[in-house]
Amino acid sequence: MESLIAMKGVVKRYPGVIALRDVSLSVRPGEVMALVGENGAGKSTLLKVLAGAVQADEGTIEVNGTVVQISSPRDSQASGIAVIYQELNLANDLSVAENIYVGREPRTRFGTVDFKAMDRGATELLTGLGISISPRDLVGDLNIALRQMVEIAKALLVDARVVVMDEPTSSLTEEEVDTLLTLVRRLRSNGVSVIYVSHRMREIYEIADRITVMRDGAVVGVCEAAETAPGEVIQMMVGRELDDLYGVRSKPVDYSVPAALEVRGLSSGALLHDVSFSVQPGEILVLAGLIGAGRSDAALTIFGATKRSGGEILVDQKALALRNPSEAMAAGIGFVPEDRKQQGLFLGLSVRENISSASLPSISRLSFVSRRRDRDLAKRLAGDLSLRQSAVEVAAGTLSGGNQQKVVLARWLARKPRTLILDEPTRGVDVGAKAEIYRLIRTIADEGVAVVVISSELTEVLGIADRILVMREGYGVGELAVASASETRIMAMATGLEGEQS
Amino acid sequence: MTIKEAVVGTGGTAGGTVPNGTPPARQGVGQRIRGQAWKVLTARESSLAGVVIVLVIFLSFASPYFMTVGNLTVVGRQIALALIISVGMTFVILIGGIDLSVGSTVALVSVLTGQLMVTSGLPPALAVILALIGGTLVGLVNGTINAFVGIPSFVVTLGMLAVARGLALGTTGGSTISGFPAAFLYLGQGSFLGIPIPVWIAVVIAFAAHFVLTRTTFGRHIYFVGSNEEAAKLSGIRVRRVKIAVFMISASLASVSGILETARLSVGQPAAGNGYELLAIGAAVIGGASLFGGVGGILGTALGTSLLLLIQNALILLGISAYWQQVFSGVIIVAAVALNMWRRGRR
Repeated sequence: MESLIAMKGVVKRYPGVIALRDVSLSVRPGEVMALVGENGAGKSTLLKVLAGAVQADEGTIEVNGTVVQISSPRDSQASGIAVIYQELNLANDLSVAENIYVGREPRTRFGTVDFKAMDRGATELLTGLGISISPRDLVGDLNIALRQMVEIAKALLVDARVVVMDEPTSSLTEEEVDTLLTLVRRLRSNGVSVIYVSHRMREIYEIADRITVMRDGAVVGVCEAAETAPGEVIQMMVGRELDDLYGVRSKPVDYSVPAALEVRGLSSGALLHDVSFSVQPGEILVLAGLIGAGRSDAALTIFGATKRSGGEILVDQKALALRNPSEAMAAGIGFVPEDRKQQGLFLGLSVRENISSASLPSISRLSFVSRRRDRDLAKRLAGDLSLRQSAVEVAAGTLSGGNQQKVVLARWLARKPRTLILDEPTRGVDVGAKAEIYRLIRTIADEGVAVVVISSELTEVLGIADRILVMREGYGVGELAVASASETRIMAMATGLEGEQS
Repeated sequence: MTIKEAVVGTGGTAGGTVPNGTPPARQGVGQRIRGQAWKVLTARESSLAGVVIVLVIFLSFASPYFMTVGNLTVVGRQIALALIISVGMTFVILIGGIDLSVGSTVALVSVLTGQLMVTSGLPPALAVILALIGGTLVGLVNGTINAFVGIPSFVVTLGMLAVARGLALGTTGGSTISGFPAAFLYLGQGSFLGIPIPVWIAVVIAFAAHFVLTRTTFGRHIYFVGSNEEAAKLSGIRVRRVKIAVFMISASLASVSGILETARLSVGQPAAGNGYELLAIGAAVIGGASLFGGVGGILGTALGTSLLLLIQNALILLGISAYWQQVFSGVIIVAAVALNMWRRGRR
């Protein structure tokens, strides 16, 4: 059958990284194509190329057999492609109809907006999709699933022939997922093609006709959903060799001593339910799972930055309240957050000030900061982490991703923590710096610090972990010793193919 | 194994390690002085200082009255009163906030001083202390609402601007209070070693503030909160306490200025301090403070205050109508910020 849309030999390079290597993808009319792959496999870049948000360096895109040039989101729309991102693009204070018609408002004879025609058109579209909401409802009052429907209706208004959905169900409840899947089927029966990006095997097998698997920026396989077992797809997603990037443990973890940190039944709002685990001094525990599985929420809750609604946290076997970060720090806990720029660094301030920011009492007397001790501390840690010592006075924002991460690490190492929590410590960091960070983590653990690492990269999880806790949808779904863990097994637990909720 | 060995073992991929055993090149004394001089010249404040100096030179040639003791005393007092408020405003702007209520606080404190000292007949020292406490409470309210309810400081202090001014007008029925004891008036009108008392007070406050911001943990916390509130929180800084303290500093300094203003004019008046908030914000911004927080300093603010008030003085001396002063002030504020952004963009 003729393809409705075909990408051929698409290459996208970023400085130092090849995000897409010779990627080809074709979708037939009225087909649901699932696009799967680990985080960082290149799915998002591929979507951005389709949406016109970034331009490919090589390769062509054909729609209905003719090559089209997509260099802006406008070109993409004109070619009949509609991309629906995880973060929806809606104005919450405007009505459903206004959102659907945004930028294309019908006019009356007098040049004013024809609200009647707009409401009529919107109702028509929504009924066509089988959704019963009023075009006058405010988008802000709708739940996430219905907002997605509005986004889809918006796409159909411009006669989209290909609808691309990026992890549309990541924030939906079971019921809402069903509604969405019904809608996807309806789109298919109307001859619209759907590219469906998701991690969730169950959904994929419910609606996909074919599955394209990506890994490390390349397509590693295209299979018919009906003829391929989920296990095979996961194998294709993760099949990679481990290398010695991660360093070697020099002494075994002592499980006879009491845990440095233990959480029992930790809960926080709707994000975290009854999670329990413990970490030994010198041990590296990795919290694995998909993005949004509640791992960061667990970290923030332990650190006192998010309110705890249930469970207890024991540091050295003593239950502590840990109501705010300074109490957690007093208990010897350090936390390197996920988003360096938003949560970690003072980008406009110097590296020196960033490093000493959590250790001011130890370098001051009567709250007067000693400049000498401030400088010495920064220089010592910069030396320890092989940051250029001359760089301690430059603004942290001017450093590369890897060096920025080292600055955040230095801030916590300056406090000599007994438990260190690192949330995605190698995100946005180049390969060389990654290896350094892995070795640092290994060294910190060897010195007797209990380390908790949150990671979405499976090779990284297996490379650095002593023990792995897999989380899914806010629950801990299983614990694995690294010897008995495999990428397939973790992925199966993280996507809900294996393991029950504990 | 130590951390250092671990990292060096990987070959120091990032940031080029300094080879061990090579001592840093010793600098000659002359070289060091030249280095310091260069640092001063390229500092953010130096171009502003240059503008102020040029303006002073220009004025001393353009008007025979500028360099007279009388005029310099007047200008010095004006700069001092405005600087005290601008210093407080700098603290607030550094955490990424704004305090629109300082002008009204001046009025409230002015009236309060009059009521306590003249109407109730309290001893001057006690009356001044109570008025200061009263004014500082304004900041406590601002800071508490901002930190705990989460209403943006712009809105909170906009409300307070009206409330404090209303209190000053309401309790006095809009009339002024006079009849202060001479000892109190000396605060605003007297001189020490030929220099007006308010100038001494402003200089002490500015130095203290500069010291707090650059040398103390509290000062660091202010820059952290302004630079990245979320990161500050995750570094264990009690962000709310910092916010409340900063608004109290701003209000207490506005109160000091209000007391000096009352002593200078010999009247407690509910109309005092009108528009001071804009002057203070303008001064801080001209001095290089960023309204997004985290950037700025007392030196810049002091230069900004001087520039704005010297220009006012210049327009008077050159016989240009007072009505036009605002046009000049406005243009200068925007031009200074544009210049700062251009400099930052170039780096």
